Amino acid sequence: MQKLILVSALLLLGACARLDHVQIGDIDQSNGALSPISVKVSENGVEMAVVAGVAAELASQSKRNQQLKEIRDFLALINMGPRTGNPVFFDTYAQNVLDALYQQCASGKITGIRNIREGKTYGPVSGEIVRIDADCIL
Amino acid sequence: MIRLFTALLATLMLSGCMSLNSVSLTQIPSDKGQLVSAKAHDWVFLGFTTQNNFVDEAVNNLKQECPNGKLTGVLTKHQTTAYVLVFKREVIASGYCKKA
Repeated sequence: MQKLILVSALLLLGACARLDHVQIGDIDQSNGALSPISVKVSENGVEMAVVAGVAAELASQSKRNQQLKEIRDFLALINMGPRTGNPVFFDTYAQNVLDALYQQCASGKITGIRNIREGKTYGPVSGEIVRIDADCIL
Repeated sequence: MIRLFTALLATLMLSGCMSLNSVSLTQIPSDKGQLVSAKAHDWVFLGFTTQNNFVDEAVNNLKQECPNGKLTGVLTKHQTTAYVLVFKREVIASGYCKKA
């Protein structure tokens, strides 16, 4: 019964969108027509404590269950503190967004930059997304 | 007594608890124009949603407030209001519009 509830909860939480931060920059509509451009980069984030917790619930042996719960608690402790989204394995995934943005704008005149930090959550796994929308002055 | 308790409970539950997720402000020039603002929101039940499209709606609404002009000093607020099992996610943006 517990497993059923757990699986149901995971399914319910499947692909939930999360919005962490929005920033809208200056918008110049006085220097010509605007064409929308966008760059989106994503990195996989994993909540390891939740993974260990799920494994503990699914473990059939009580000794294994207890060990996994200890691992879960340990992981929760080392990941404690303020953060946005799940921990990721590479912290440089959003470094080249400016170059990518300029590649989409031949005139090089970019305005209306919107920085959006969001995420897609699939249970304990998530896509930690950085999206930069802007307008290219043609 | 029960009526009073129910009224108090309903007031507390329906008034909503607000949290401010993020705030940002861009530079404000000395020759700033007229203050304009726009907002957009969506409702989510128990936090289940698959999109954040209301952000784009807020940007488009702000652009419409200043056609052919230049928006500076843009203040962006992203806030969430929690009601009973339902959340209102909102983006409120304001800025100074200087017409060309």
